[in-house]
Order: sequence, then C-alpha cells, then structure tokens
Amino acid sequence: MLPPAPSFGRVMSRSRLVERLADHRFVLLVALALFVAITVVYPLFQVGVRSFLVQGEWSLANYRAVFLQPRNLEAVWNSLWVSVIATLLATVIGTVAAFLVQRTDLPAKTLFRVLLVLPFAIPPLFSAMGWVQLAGPVGLFSQWWREVFGVASVPWTIYGPGGIIFVLAVTNYPFVFITVAGALQRIDPSLEEAARTSGVGTWRIMRDVTLPLVRPAIYGGALLAFVSSIDNFGIPAVLGLRAQFYVLTTRIYEALTIPNMPLATAMSVLLIGVAVIAMVGFRFAEGNRSQYAVIGGKSVTPNLIRLGRMRPLVTGALALVVLVVVVMPLFALVLTSFLRFWGADLTLANLTLRHYEAVLGAAGAQRGIRNSLFLAAAAATILMIVTVLISYLHMKAKVRGAGLLDTIGIIPFALPGSVIGVAMILAWSNPVVGPTLYGTIWILLIAYIMRYMAFGLQTTRATLAQIHDSLEEAAHTAGASKLRALKDITLPLLRPGMVAGWMLIFISAFNELTVSVLIWTSGSETIGVWIFLLQDSGFTGRASALAVLTLPVILILYLATQWLARLEERRVAGKGT
Amino acid sequence: MTAVVEVGHLTKRFNEVTAVDDVSFAVAEQEFFTLLGSSGCGKTTTLRCVAGLERADAGRIGIGGETVFDAAQGLDVGSERRAIGMVFQSYAVWPHMSVFDNIAYPLRIRRQPREAIRRRVDDVLAILDMAALGRRMPSQLSGGQQQRVALGRALAMNPKVLLLDEPLSNLDAKLRETMRAELKLIQKETGLPILYVTHDQTEALAMSDRIAVMANGVIHQLAPPDAIYRRPATRFVLDFVGAVNYLPCTLEAVLEDALVLRLAEGARLRVPKPPHVPTTSAHELAVRPEDIVLGPPGEGRPAATVTLKSFVGTGFDYRLRLGEVELRVQAPKTAAFAEGEHVGIAITEALLLDARQRGDAARVGP
Ligand SMILES: Nc1ncnc2c1ncn2[C@@H]1O[C@H](COP(=O)(O)OP(=O)(O)O)[C@@H](O)[C@H]1O
Ligand SMILES: [Mg+2]
Repeated sequence: MLPPAPSFGRVMSRSRLVERLADHRFVLLVALALFVAITVVYPLFQVGVRSFLVQGEWSLANYRAVFLQPRNLEAVWNSLWVSVIATLLATVIGTVAAFLVQRTDLPAKTLFRVLLVLPFAIPPLFSAMGWVQLAGPVGLFSQWWREVFGVASVPWTIYGPGGIIFVLAVTNYPFVFITVAGALQRIDPSLEEAARTSGVGTWRIMRDVTLPLVRPAIYGGALLAFVSSIDNFGIPAVLGLRAQFYVLTTRIYEALTIPNMPLATAMSVLLIGVAVIAMVGFRFAEGNRSQYAVIGGKSVTPNLIRLGRMRPLVTGALALVVLVVVVMPLFALVLTSFLRFWGADLTLANLTLRHYEAVLGAAGAQRGIRNSLFLAAAAATILMIVTVLISYLHMKAKVRGAGLLDTIGIIPFALPGSVIGVAMILAWSNPVVGPTLYGTIWILLIAYIMRYMAFGLQTTRATLAQIHDSLEEAAHTAGASKLRALKDITLPLLRPGMVAGWMLIFISAFNELTVSVLIWTSGSETIGVWIFLLQDSGFTGRASALAVLTLPVILILYLATQWLARLEERRVAGKGT
Repeated sequence: MTAVVEVGHLTKRFNEVTAVDDVSFAVAEQEFFTLLGSSGCGKTTTLRCVAGLERADAGRIGIGGETVFDAAQGLDVGSERRAIGMVFQSYAVWPHMSVFDNIAYPLRIRRQPREAIRRRVDDVLAILDMAALGRRMPSQLSGGQQQRVALGRALAMNPKVLLLDEPLSNLDAKLRETMRAELKLIQKETGLPILYVTHDQTEALAMSDRIAVMANGVIHQLAPPDAIYRRPATRFVLDFVGAVNYLPCTLEAVLEDALVLRLAEGARLRVPKPPHVPTTSAHELAVRPEDIVLGPPGEGRPAATVTLKSFVGTGFDYRLRLGEVELRVQAPKTAAFAEGEHVGIAITEALLLDARQRGDAARVGP
C-alpha cells in the first residue's frame, strides 16, 4: 500500500552555493597538489633520475663509483651496524623506563616522565657536544677519573663508533619510551586480571601477558629510533670525523664539500635503500603480531607492581640514569659556555661571559638565530595550514585525489635527511623552471616543509578522525553553511591538535641539522649549522654558548607541548563514555 | 490534512548497493511518522536525504509545501535552508560549546536578537526539564542529558519538521522508556511533525501515528501501528513486527465467521475467520503468542505439551510442543500450567497464509 503520489508546491529558488563550493574544492585541491608537487614530488624525482645520469646519458657509473671506493662501502656498513646496536640499546633503556614509570609504584612519576622524554627535544648535536665535554680527552668526567685513579689517560675514547653508539642510544630511547608507555597505558587491565584470577604471579603476568601485548609498540618505537639513528648527522660528525670514522650521512656531507654531486646523489639512493631494507626487516621481525586489537583507546588505571623494599634502590638507579643521560650533558654545555677555555680548571677566575659576547656580536650567529626562528615558525605555520586542508579534503569532504596527496606527503618521513638535502640541491640549484633557490633561505624552508609534512598530516588526520562527521552535519541542519560550520565547529575542535602539531614541527625544524648542513649558504645559516661550524672549528666555548642560548626556546616549547597534551587528555577523559 | 514532508520515488545508490529504492511517503501535520526496519535497510539514508545531508539519485522531496530536492530538475536546496531540526544517533552535541550555546546556535545563525535568543533557549531548557544546566559543558552531562540537549537544539528554531535517527538506542532500558514518553509529550506540546527512524518495533508501535516498514530499501507497508501488527502486508512485516507462530495446515471448511483447519499432526482446529483466505493447496496459519488461549483439551482444541515455562511479570511465557511444531504462547498470570502438562489450545485471532508463497516480499493480505 503506497501513499498517493505527493503533490509538490512552489519550487525554492535554486541554490548556487553548492556548485560554487564544489568548484572551490577543486581549485583548492589543484593548489594543494601543486604545493606537494613542488615540495615533495619534484625533488624526489630529481634524486631518482639524476643518480642514473652521467653527462646527460643514462648510466650506472655513479653507482659504480660508489662501490669502487671501499670507503663508501664502509660507510654503508658502518651506518648499518652502528644504528642497529644503538637501536638495541635504546630499546632496552626505553622499554625498561616505560615499565618502571607506567606499571610500578615509582615515586615522582610526572617528573621522571618529563625528564625521560626531554632528550626528544634536545638537538642530538647538543648531546654529542655535551658528551665530548663530559667524557672527551679533557672532559669533566675524564679529568675526575684521572685524578681518582692517578692514570695519564682514560681507558675509553668518546671519538669513534663506541661513543657514537652510546650517544645515539641515549638520544633516541625516548621514541621507544613514548610508544611503549602509551601502549602500557591503553592496555585493557581485565586481560591481566584474567591471568591474576587464574593464579599467575605478577612477574609472570608481566612476562607472559603484558610484554607480548606491548611488543608491537616496542617494535614500532625501535623502528623510529633506528630511522632516527640512520638519519643522524650531528653525532657521527662531532664524534666520528675526528676519528676518521664515517657513516653515510657524514660521507655525503664530505662528498658535497668537494663537491661531487653525482657521488652524493648515488649515495643518497643507497641510504634510501638501507632505510627501506631496515624497515622491511622490522616488519618481518614483527610478523603479524601487531594484529592484536586488545589495546583499546581508553586509558585506565592499571594494576601497579609494588616495588617493595626495592623501591628506593630502583628509584635511585633510575634517577642516576636520568641524571647522567639527560641532565649531565646539558650541565656540561652550560659549564663549558662559561669557562675561559674548554678543559680549564673550575675556578672562579676561569669563569667568563666572553663566549656569549663573541657569539652575540657575530653577524653570522645573529643571522642564524633569526633564520632559525623564522624558518621554524614559517615551516610550522605553512605546514599546519596546508596539511589541515589536505586532511580535511581527504577525510571530511572526501574529495577524490586528496587521499593520494596525503600518501605522497607521508613519504619524506621515511627518507633520511641527507637524501632530502641532496634532493633540494638537485631540484633548486639550476631548476628547469622557476628561480634558483639554492643560495637563499627559501631552499631551507622548502626542505623543512618536505621533511616535516608527515608530522602535520599525521596530527591533523588523527585529530580530524576524532571529530565525528555528524558534528558538522548537525551545524548544517541547524542552518549553518558549509564554511560557517567549518569555522564554528570543526576548526575550534581542531585547534588543540593543530597547536600541538605546530609546536612539534617548530621544535623539529628549529633543531634541524642533517638537511641544513648540506644546503646552507652564507646568509642562510641556521643556528644548528652555526653551532656545528663553531664546534667543528674548535670554538667549543662559543658553540656551547650559542647552544645554551637556544635551550630556553626549546625547553619552553617542549614544556608547553607536554602541558597541552595533559590538557587534551583531561578534556577527553572528562567526556566519560 | 496537508503534508509537511513529501517524499516521492526517492532512490539512492552507493556504488552497487541500492540503499533506498523508489520510496514514497508523506508526513502530515502534527503526525508522528516512523521508518521502521532492521539495520542496513536504508532508514538513515532516507532520513539524510530528507535532511539534505545525502543527495539522492532520483525522486523528489518537499518540505512545508516547497520542493527542496528534485533529481529531474537538478534541484537540491542545502541542508541549512530546509528549516528542519535533526537529532543524530550519536547526539552530535558540540563538545566545545556549553548547553546554552549548543541550543542557541541555530538562533545565532539566524541573527536573532540577543534577548530573544536568551528567552527562547530558556523556554526550550524548561521544556526539556534542564533549566539549571545551561552553563554545563557537554562532557559534564550524562548520555540522557546530552540526548536532551540535541533535542533542544533541534527544537530551538521552530523547525517545520523534526528528524530523529534512533535517538533512544544509546540509552539504557529504563531511560529509554522515560524518554519515549517525554518525546511524545514534547510533540503534543509543540505540535511538531516528527519523522522518526528506529529498528525497535516496540518503540515504533508505541510512539507512532503511522509506520513505514522498510526492508532492503523498499517500503513494505505504510499504515497505523495496529494495522501493521494485525494486518501485515508481507511476510517480512509479519515476521519483523512482533513474534509469530507458524502452523502448517489444510483448509477443511469455510464457515460464516470461522475456518476449520486440519493441522499437520492430524488434530482439527477452529479459528476465527481471517480477513483473507488464500486459494491454494497448502496453507499455513500465523498466530501471535498472545492470541493463543490455553485451557483443558477438547474437541477443536488440540492438545499440546508444555516444554518450558517462564514467569515474565505480566504473565507466563510458555513453549509448547504440538506435533512437530514448537509454539510460543503469552498467557496471563491466571493461566498457570506445569511443565510436561497437556493443555488444549484455542486461537482468538490468526492469519491464513499461502504456504507456497515464501520469501520476505510474499504478500500476506488481500
Ligand atoms: N556512505 C555510504 N557509503 C556506502 N554505503 C553506504 C553509505 N551509507 C549507507 N550505506 C549502505 O546503504 C545501506 C543502508 O544504510 P543505512 O541507511 O545506514 O541503513 P539503516 O539506517 O537502516 O541501518 C547499507 O547497506 C549501508 O551499507
Ligand atoms: Mg541507521
């Protein structure tokens, strides 16, 4: 039984708004595609193609040149084994620390957590410098050792693979710590309780239930630590160059100072190869165990292990590790920046402000500070705007093609920074079309945009995914146009995520060295480049002074991100359901 | 009565799936109209087409006498200009706005004066019994309260029609019943027509003036609740709305006000004459559990065995075995029988079906 065919009244005046908006979307998509093409696709294309070109002809000669020189092969091998060992070490530190902070009745957890994650925000170059000042030939710790044991020299050297591995491990463990602590926090406690009710003891539960559950997170964190190790330039540069110990990133740096562009290009492709092989290896080791879907999104109060009589001991040990690994290098930097010369005795007479006067008086250092602040702010702002638009078109407006932009934009995340540096030089020193950006600050801006696009895409995508479509639809039915709904509903809800993403990109760009050191030119120095050059030329005091000057910026931003995350957590928790 | 919402030959496809297939209906003034059907049958899609959140492939939609969508003419008025109020299944209360701001939003969009907005929101809050909660943020509200905020927001600007998508499905049983009554009261108070979507047949029967039962994107029957329940149009409606027992039988005699049937296991059964007696060689009797009366066995009252007895507060729920057939019977508290006991069954109302016409779409009525 159907109702009588409805009769229709007056026809409403036709709305052109929908059509126009559809047009806008298309225009926007094209503009974004152009942006991604310029900042990501074109430079990558250049690396791929140019490594196979010799004087305009297709050839494998560049690769042959790489393999014919044992030094180059050695660098590939060094990159691999140093990163693997450093990653293993970082994984152990990060996992143990995460278990202690998350699952035991350790005191002062918030303080531990903030301090343990801190190396994440400190540029690796600073750590390398700090460790030279602690454990180098005339380092604080070395001096103390010599006095205590009455020996002429210490039984270790910070220069070389051992030092590189150690410093890489203590700068990269936060990747593992953050992912594992997050997984531990989200584990469903009923899984552990089920084991407990079947009469299993606490440590057995940890080993048989909890550890397998967080294993995917451990692998994930280890992969990040590995990529970061392979990518790193500052640590092997400060600790390796002097000992003639080369890894791929420092070898590429060397090839570019000669400059031997084809060689650098071919090695970049090799570096991509190493990174990809490593990632495949990780996936393989991980197997399909990450398929477990038992870690829910809810954060719950877990069962805490009572440390009992071990509590003071464990707390003391962790505090010592934090002191040595996190606080001491920074302390050494600060101290060195005030000493007349590196290695001077710690007397009042030896304290001076002359390094600060020197760096603040140098035009190059001033430019470095200005450039870095500008570049970090510009890259973060541009990226947040662009990635929010891409994610919005992809996830909410469901415009076809936006998903592809999202995928392409994530690619550089997996690329070592040296590759991005080489790609920038190839793409922008004598471009087929457009201006020569090499030699200006703009090449750095594009490089940072390419390098950190994934950060923006990931934060905006994650935030948008939490904003249910119906929130915006409810605004439409309440009478708001598409743009009005975007402004009143979606943007305000996106804001915390966007601010967090902005700060993440700002800190990362502000600390950037691997790419910058390859593409800086006089006039476009960054603060990291300047510190590295000072350190490399033996001006340890000035390098430290400049580093200490940047610390407040980094620390304030870092604490702000922590505070924001806490705020966000509370907001979500307040929701109840 | 003029129609407030008119939907004509609406069709909507998602790739291969035809979610809504040539659907037509009209909602009258002050009417509570329900789209009822199991999950995935196209209710939400229909509602979203009416709201302008989904663009149909064919058909026409009118709201308040004005055409807002016409596929043939390429006409599609934006959601924001359809003057509707909608409550989403997930509530979609904006978490960054207070209760007051949520409800005031549609009024602010329409640039109403500040004082008028305040008065209207206070009125709405009073209707919803939430006068004290205007300052609260949604995260400080219970599910039921968030539900009310969503309703208040939809009511605020006096829409031409209220669209509700399973608004009660996320509430617990007790609250659901309270909200059911409240919703009916609010509708009485405001006189707003409601287009309601639910998969819960009890809810649909209790609240609606008329129900359209949907399956696979098609409306199977459009009628008032008692007609849906007692005179289902298709086997799907018969099955989906309420419980039903099937008894295979053959027709022995058609009397003036009764039928004489022979059941498969041999006993003879007399039932009141149903509205439609199909001409076929194989019949099937469809009986609701509450239309079976239990008593001592006798002539025309075949004996069945009680296999399971459960007390449900309002009475007893019995499982009986009658030959090969298992019967479900709902009996009053006074009809107490023990498990294993033989009882005679009499039938007060039933439908006679053509046993060879199976499948959801098979017609049950005339
Ligand atoms: N956005 C969509 N894309 C693809 N298929 C959809 C979409 N929305 C609904 N469908 C499909 O249309 C059918 C009807 O869905 P829906 O209207 O949501 O059903 P109901 O509300 O009755 O449960 C389902 O088969 C569903 O899978
Ligand atoms: Mg639905």
